Amino acid sequence: MSRLKRTLFLQALLQPLTAIVLGLLVGAVLIAAIGGSVAETYAEMWKGAFGNSFFAASTLARATPIILIGLGVSLAFRAGVFNLGAEGQMVLGALSAALVALHAPGPAALKLLLALLSGMLVGGLWSAFAGWLDTRFRMNLLITTLLFNYIAVLFAGYMVSFPFKEKGGSGGAQTAMIASDVWLPKLLSGSTLHVGFAVAALAAMLLALFLRYTVKGYEIRMLGSNPLFAAYGGVRRGRVMLLSMITSGAFAGLAGTFEVLGTQYRYIDNMLSSPGFAWSGIMAALIAGSNPIGTAITAILLAALQTGGMGVERNTEIPLEISNIIQAALILFVSAKITFTFIRRRKARDADGNAV
Amino acid sequence: METLFDLNLLSSTLRIVAPLLLAALGGALCARVGLFNVALEGMMLIGAFSAILGNYLFGNVLVAVLFSCLCVGVVALLFAYLSVHLQANAIIVGIAINFLALGLTAFALFVIFGNKGQYYDPNMKGLPVWHIPIVKDIPVLGDLLSGHSPLVYLAFLLAIALQYVVYRTVPGFRLTAVGENPSAAGSLGLRVKRYQYGAVLASGVLCALAGAQLSLGQVTLFAENMTSGRGFIALVAAMLGQNNPLGVAASSLLFGFTDAISIRLQGLALPTHFTMMLPYVMTIIVMFLFKDKAYLRQSGRIGGQ
Repeated sequence: MSRLKRTLFLQALLQPLTAIVLGLLVGAVLIAAIGGSVAETYAEMWKGAFGNSFFAASTLARATPIILIGLGVSLAFRAGVFNLGAEGQMVLGALSAALVALHAPGPAALKLLLALLSGMLVGGLWSAFAGWLDTRFRMNLLITTLLFNYIAVLFAGYMVSFPFKEKGGSGGAQTAMIASDVWLPKLLSGSTLHVGFAVAALAAMLLALFLRYTVKGYEIRMLGSNPLFAAYGGVRRGRVMLLSMITSGAFAGLAGTFEVLGTQYRYIDNMLSSPGFAWSGIMAALIAGSNPIGTAITAILLAALQTGGMGVERNTEIPLEISNIIQAALILFVSAKITFTFIRRRKARDADGNAV
Repeated sequence: METLFDLNLLSSTLRIVAPLLLAALGGALCARVGLFNVALEGMMLIGAFSAILGNYLFGNVLVAVLFSCLCVGVVALLFAYLSVHLQANAIIVGIAINFLALGLTAFALFVIFGNKGQYYDPNMKGLPVWHIPIVKDIPVLGDLLSGHSPLVYLAFLLAIALQYVVYRTVPGFRLTAVGENPSAAGSLGLRVKRYQYGAVLASGVLCALAGAQLSLGQVTLFAENMTSGRGFIALVAAMLGQNNPLGVAASSLLFGFTDAISIRLQGLALPTHFTMMLPYVMTIIVMFLFKDKAYLRQSGRIGGQ
């Protein structure tokens, strides 16, 4: 039994690793095709991501929202729910956190707490609304969550262009700056790395324990892996699904809130959509097979690819989009990999003589 | 109200509908064989870029469109190989291809044209405008129907042709059979995988045409992420039309009309944020009114193995 577990664990680790190697290989072919030096480009990528403590800190700072979104999405995936609405949930969470941090009364600590809570609550409710439309009216969740992204981003854009636009500021679509005593403390002074990263890392561990050792966690996993069996076992699909959607949205909302309170100190139009945090988070969850710890590690890897891509663009002729291509190649390889094991398993079953 | 609704509005509806309809027909074909094609968006984007690239390389619009079909065909083959052959989750592959399209087009834009953001060449000739001989002289109808690019006409003709193929021919029935129950279709001797490959390839070509209409239809321009969610709206249009070509045409017309109105509304005092929201909100309202029966079966489950 323990040997089987070890092989399974190794296999789970081997898959993403192979995919990473293949992804980097695709990147190398492209770099060589346009006449760049592969070794130099990858060296710059490494330096841009982890070259010194400043770059390493920026990589971890960028990984923070990706980890949180990835965790939320992986929880939803575990429950068999396809939540593609992380972007909208994150944006609305960030907007409400910024507005609460600016306008809530009381001492700074209270403002910070209220801002965090409102960010999570708004993200969670926006997500739950899509979940409710699915359970109550059978509206395709995949599509509603996608469309809700556009609506949320446009709505937030309106809010910071008109009613809550910074008065007398530089003229950009953004809110006023939040008072500095409501900022999240830094983990490493002089860098962009803030306390949010520690929270995200802790959340990954807690979520892993929750899924593994609690009754609710078991219900969620069962619903995702075998809905019929789950229904037979008394799991109420609607309730567990709504719960997963709320939690998943709250994670996304928290990701946006941390960006506001820890990095930008205000909500700026498109500050969350243009770096593509949401899709990176979804990719992290997909690559890691919705395993919370794996999602966190993959998120850091993706963030490293992105900050590394910036380093490449600064110091070589290769454009930064190379890292997008490597990321996409990575998921393609992982998605195919999942199937290789599936086919292998099916073949093994056939060999046992109890094929369906 | 008179400034809002006029012939121009309907005419621009037709223009906006064309790329949407082409992509949506592709999505509908894939859905017929049981594949949920989330990659429409990415395929369209690659189509738009390769059409501009083909035009730049060959200086001929027809060759450019064919070149675009070829390029997107390769991407469609990749999609088919992974999701049909290797049985990977089609949704995951679709998301990855959308990402790949974003990266590849921006990368190629920089490498080939040395530009970031967008490429525009006023000297390059786009798709021709066709004036239909007799129709163009009919007062109202002429203004409405004449003077579009060939791809606009092709989109509507294809919708009618596909309707015939799907409901009146043997291959059409087989297509549906493959999607309804692959193992039953297989036991009747149908080459299930071949039909699935065919549908994905066809959707690739349709997305290429959709992309070409976007980048070569009005202006000869490519901008990063210029499809901006149209692929997803096309997906919804296919779904609302119950994957029935004429139904898909009807739902695409609805979205095109909303889009045209939203552009028109920007001229009024309304903030653009809300007018731009209109097509998405409309989609959700229509989804509420029309239920998708195949949803639960197709969206499937995913994740934690």
